Amino acid sequence: MISEFGNLTVVLSILTSFFLIIFSIIELKNNNSYPSIKLRNFSILQLIFTNLSFLTLLMGYLISDFSIENVYENSHTEKPLLYKISGVWGNHEGSLLLWINVLVLFSFLFFSKNFKKNKKFQLLTLIFQNILILGFFIFLFATSNPFNKIFPIPSEGLGLNPILQDPALAIHPPLLYLGFVGSSIYFSAALASLISRYNGKDFAIISKPWVLVSWIFQTLGILVGSIWAYYELGWGGYWFWDPVENSSLIPWFLMTALLHSILVLEKRSGIYLWVVVLSILTFTMSVTGTFLVRSGILNSVHTFANDPTRGLYILIFLSAMIFSSIYIFYKYSPIENRSFNLFSKEFFIIINNWFMSFFLITVLIGTVYPIFLEVLTSQKISIGPPYYNAILAPFLIPLLFLMAYGPTTSWIISRQFKTKKIIYNLFLSIVITSIIILTINQKNFLINVLLIASVYLILQNIIGIYKNTKKNSGKPSTPNLASAISHVGFGLLIFFISLNSVTSVGHDLNIKAGEKKSLENFDITLEELKVFNEKNYKKFVGNIVVLNKKTNNIERLKPEIRIYKNPETITYEASIRSNIFSDTYVTMSNISKSEFYNIKFQKKPFMNLIWFSTILIVLGGMLRLISKKI
Amino acid sequence: MNKIKVFITILLAFNIYFSDLLSEEKINNQIYKNLRCIVCQGQSIADSNSDFAQTIKSVVNDKLSEGMNEKEVYHFLSEKYGDWILFDPPVKKKTYLLWSLPYIFFVIGGIAILFIFKKVLKHKKY
Repeated sequence: MISEFGNLTVVLSILTSFFLIIFSIIELKNNNSYPSIKLRNFSILQLIFTNLSFLTLLMGYLISDFSIENVYENSHTEKPLLYKISGVWGNHEGSLLLWINVLVLFSFLFFSKNFKKNKKFQLLTLIFQNILILGFFIFLFATSNPFNKIFPIPSEGLGLNPILQDPALAIHPPLLYLGFVGSSIYFSAALASLISRYNGKDFAIISKPWVLVSWIFQTLGILVGSIWAYYELGWGGYWFWDPVENSSLIPWFLMTALLHSILVLEKRSGIYLWVVVLSILTFTMSVTGTFLVRSGILNSVHTFANDPTRGLYILIFLSAMIFSSIYIFYKYSPIENRSFNLFSKEFFIIINNWFMSFFLITVLIGTVYPIFLEVLTSQKISIGPPYYNAILAPFLIPLLFLMAYGPTTSWIISRQFKTKKIIYNLFLSIVITSIIILTINQKNFLINVLLIASVYLILQNIIGIYKNTKKNSGKPSTPNLASAISHVGFGLLIFFISLNSVTSVGHDLNIKAGEKKSLENFDITLEELKVFNEKNYKKFVGNIVVLNKKTNNIERLKPEIRIYKNPETITYEASIRSNIFSDTYVTMSNISKSEFYNIKFQKKPFMNLIWFSTILIVLGGMLRLISKKI
Repeated sequence: MNKIKVFITILLAFNIYFSDLLSEEKINNQIYKNLRCIVCQGQSIADSNSDFAQTIKSVVNDKLSEGMNEKEVYHFLSEKYGDWILFDPPVKKKTYLLWSLPYIFFVIGGIAILFIFKKVLKHKKY
């Protein structure tokens, strides 16, 4: 029953998308000044049907209807409610349906918000967006239908991978999708803008909030993913430059570049085409990332059941997207007159884009190089953190300085570099950094310079806001405040990541129950092991006591080894004592055929401050979004 | 102003002076982090609980105590398990492009920006 209704909603959604395209093409030719109400009604209908299909699948999960293959494969009656809900997007089919829902939601919101704007531009955007929607719906229906039935009806489901049963991971995909897929709307709008010869400035004003929204969600999605990796994967890290992490970072670089250059386009012409290219690339890269992950070319936790036809479909779809974008770009791109002043605000924003492109290209090369190498020469290489750190970290230093200097300049008129502006703060930040370096006895040169640069960025922004507040009689202007908050957030992020990377401590111990091991600054005791039976798993809990010899402070940690029943899996749950300044992180695993347990003890400083910095970055974006004078 | 510039130079020199290679106690952990646990999924030797990781750790410790340096340990392991085990891909014929392409693109970007600003640089005096 649910399956039939689900299929019906999918078919109805496909039909409405199809009619939306047809009617829009017809209306392009008439002389009315606005799109008709009929189109608006159809787009509401489309939203309703698509949401219904999602809710139908959700219902299937909630009542554990195992006649639906998708529910059978990914759910279980004993699963907690939250994970029944998140199970909907914890698999390929369901997450694709979520993906389409976001496409439709953005299409609807964009269309109804800008209903009275330039008609040709509106209709073309709607057409392009609905071609995307239709493309993904056909993909869903043909290769990945979540409403497929299974017979005979199984009495119990297979369950969800336990490492995906986590609150952070429940909200990670929706957040990332709002970012990834949110970028579709300015992809469509950029193509529409080229064809309708829309004014660059108007295009910037219309697409800015959408860029901001997708950027905010993308940042949050990446943050939540990192937090999940830190808590759940049990190695105490939060970013591994894993190909899948990279494919969420690549669109982020593009969105960040776009966010900055759109601010220029709002004020003056000259980079319209560049903004269009960035808009097109962002969504293209989002789909490319999805292709790499879903096709199984990249192997990771994110890879769901592999199916070559799916990979092939996305590849064809992606190629069609890229080639038609290139065609439209060359056919319709206008001639631009570019003239900028050196050291003006727009100059620095272009430099920002230069760096963002560099980061993006490096990450892209690092992600796809091993794939190409293996295909061409069948040699396997790994590209991990050392590669990215070696190439990217040095470039962060000039970026941080430019981020500090850029916002202090004026639009158009600034022409000279002002040494006086930077010298005092630079002096102050070197003093501060030197003190920190001496305190923690830190000797890595690159890290030291990174610390100086990030402290400088933070100082410059805080002082800048203070001055701006005084000038504007007690209230800073919102755009300035927003960018300062985000930039301070980024400075803090680099500052804490750098400190964290050099002050983290890790020890590996093999230890029996009741035994004590002495380290340089800590005594670690495994007091005892207890066994508990939970609803859908059995767990071994280790009672570990950590004594800090310097402060005589005692911490008790309880890492777990869990044995899940459905599906049968062993997971290791880290135990984390989290403070503002430092985390104690312990994982435990059994060593086969022995009574010893392997205990990994780590001190991870500033983890909470790393998360906090990222939230600051997002807050700046949110402030910019809600302020009237954007 | 000049005094401050002198101060900055001194402090920077001080920072550089105090910068040093990694201390020896950290070298084992450093090496573990740069090795892939080839039986796991995207984990390093340092992060993995597997038997394979335990074996590699003791191999690394043995080789270090035999007097090998970090590079020699990597070389030894890559001879045995292939470059797949190294997270830091060594510069070889097959990785020339990998290591150079990012910089090449950076330079191309720089030239493109110069091109945009060429007009300004030519016609106006600063």
